[in-house]
Amino acid sequence: MVPTAWGVAVLDGGTPLFTQIAERLADEIADGSLAEGERVPSSNEMAAFYRINPATAAKGLNVLIDDGLLEKRRGIGMFVVAGARERLLADRRRDFAERFVQPLVAEAQRLGIDAESLVELVRETSGVQGGVSL
Amino acid sequence: MTNWSTIVNVGRYHLTQRPVYLTVPWALTVFSLLINLIVSTAVPTSIHTAGLATLYVWMFVGGLMATHRSLPFGLALGLSRRSYYLGTAGLAVALSAADAVALTALYALEGATGGWGVDLHFFRISYLLDGPWYLTWLTSFVGLGLLFVYGMWFGIVYRRWNVTGLAVFIAGQATLLLAGVLAASWADAWEAIGDFLTDLSAAGLTGVLAVAAAALFVGGFTTMRRATV
Amino acid sequence: MTAAISVSGLTRHYRGHRALDDVTIDIDGPSITGLLGRNGAGKTTLLRMIAAQELPSRGRVLVFGANPLENDAILRRLVLIREDQTFPDFKVRHALKAASWFYPNWDGDVAATMAGEFDLPPDRAVKKLSRGMRSALSIVIGLAARAEITLFDEPYAGLDAVARQLFYDRLLAEYAEHPRTILLSTHLVDEAAALLERVVMVDRGRVVLDAPTDELRGAYTEVSGPVAAVAQLLADRPDRPGQDRRRVAAHESVVIAGPLGGAELQRARDLHLRVEPLSLQQVLIHAAGRSDDESSDSGRSDSGRSEGEHSQSERSERASA
Repeated sequence: MVPTAWGVAVLDGGTPLFTQIAERLADEIADGSLAEGERVPSSNEMAAFYRINPATAAKGLNVLIDDGLLEKRRGIGMFVVAGARERLLADRRRDFAERFVQPLVAEAQRLGIDAESLVELVRETSGVQGGVSL
Repeated sequence: MTNWSTIVNVGRYHLTQRPVYLTVPWALTVFSLLINLIVSTAVPTSIHTAGLATLYVWMFVGGLMATHRSLPFGLALGLSRRSYYLGTAGLAVALSAADAVALTALYALEGATGGWGVDLHFFRISYLLDGPWYLTWLTSFVGLGLLFVYGMWFGIVYRRWNVTGLAVFIAGQATLLLAGVLAASWADAWEAIGDFLTDLSAAGLTGVLAVAAAALFVGGFTTMRRATV
Repeated sequence: MTAAISVSGLTRHYRGHRALDDVTIDIDGPSITGLLGRNGAGKTTLLRMIAAQELPSRGRVLVFGANPLENDAILRRLVLIREDQTFPDFKVRHALKAASWFYPNWDGDVAATMAGEFDLPPDRAVKKLSRGMRSALSIVIGLAARAEITLFDEPYAGLDAVARQLFYDRLLAEYAEHPRTILLSTHLVDEAAALLERVVMVDRGRVVLDAPTDELRGAYTEVSGPVAAVAQLLADRPDRPGQDRRRVAAHESVVIAGPLGGAELQRARDLHLRVEPLSLQQVLIHAAGRSDDESSDSGRSDSGRSEGEHSQSERSERASA
């Protein structure tokens, strides 16, 4: 699978739709907009919203069930399990280097930006955004 | 299997086109009657007219439309060819019966009013329609039904084989007729045929027409079974 | 369980050409399957045979395990309003009324609501409807029939984007409420792609592709970049790409089968190559082995030019049947 940016606005043409659905939900769990213990939309609701086949939506939900992020409660629906957010964030921190830093460094090299300047750039950017201090 | 409600619904399906089956044929028949009445008032003698043929011709047209124009949507609505055919034939029976009732009433009225006061023979046809009312009804019913079923067969032939098929179909019938005529001539049977027809009352003729209608019904059904839309 | 639709060895030839050639597919329900292919590929012929409107030259069609031909019990569980459907002298409301008499699960409320949404004038004669309006009528009948097998033949011919959107929404809502086996023929592949869980592609009367949609996304990957870098990446690949290569100056773009594996993807990145999965529409073009002049823009051809040709050939097909 080609890595897609987290939180893409539209479903794109190439990656399997169910993966994209799973990623979207995971994003929402990760940023807390889908709280732990909260009910997630049913496959039909997701299908209607994204205008996709309900089976595809169900498959996307199943990915998260298999990952242990969602749980099915018979007759009621699907819910975000406790601790899901923390686990997601841990996974994403682990993959951060591969998914973001490597492409960043590769592009920097292509542009002739050396490691020193790159770090400086990162520092400046996060300073501007008022984010993490490195 | 074809059930009764399907047959009734196919009839309703056709009758949705009310102009084809009710309004137009009767409007034309009444129009024809009016023309003949006008002519009759101008002419002192009694007038015999074939204006009633209008209604019969429209029965043929109705049958043809039912199996040609209306067939594709009928099959699209999940009907089998058999159901469609039986339902359409059911319409032929119901429509002919009802129209025959109207014709019988008008026949009686024409008789009672002395030919609408001007001695017009529009609904009373000598030899064919001049017996008791029930015979008039029966002959009208069989005659109308025959033409409808005949039209149905034409419609299916047209649908399956287009104009070419229609031409072959008509040519085949003409050939058959010609063969009959020639055979009769060779066998010197014209006199016998003449006698037969003279002896054959309107009731007998109605019987012959009924057999012909049945044969057309079977012929049309056979053609229908492999019709495609 | 018996497949909702099971077709095997299905062949139909008309004088001079084969409209369908040895087609074998099984479709289970509930599902939404796309029947894709260019005009004249045999989609309509296949749908007509499933609905027993056309008779096979060879092979067989089973619907719920039985031959649908002259089988009322099966036929009323199935609906097909064709793109070139002819109607009697009916008004719109007559057509809907007639449909309500024959479909056991007909939902009059759904029909009325949808007819309103599509702005279908109930008292307009069907033959006076525009092309898009006729499509809308077919859609309304097809969905309101709630038939267990719902066949749509080019359901959005002549419909604008808004009406198509409405169709997708209605289809999904109906499907969610009353799941059924839906087979949808179309050439607007990418637009409908998200609705389809499976695609069957027909070309020149044969099934050239039959796969779950998910498998097809990523079935082909386009790699592009400097000629030398592309060559370097592809050097150790067993499947040398053939004609799916395009080049401008020192830039080359190559379509390869399958997604790139992890190591390969890493190499591609190191080589600064662009890696993009093909969209479903493009995948289908490659699958059909049509990477010639149409590959760059396939959606275009279908709407205007071939429409007339199609119905004309259909008519002559029927004439010779």
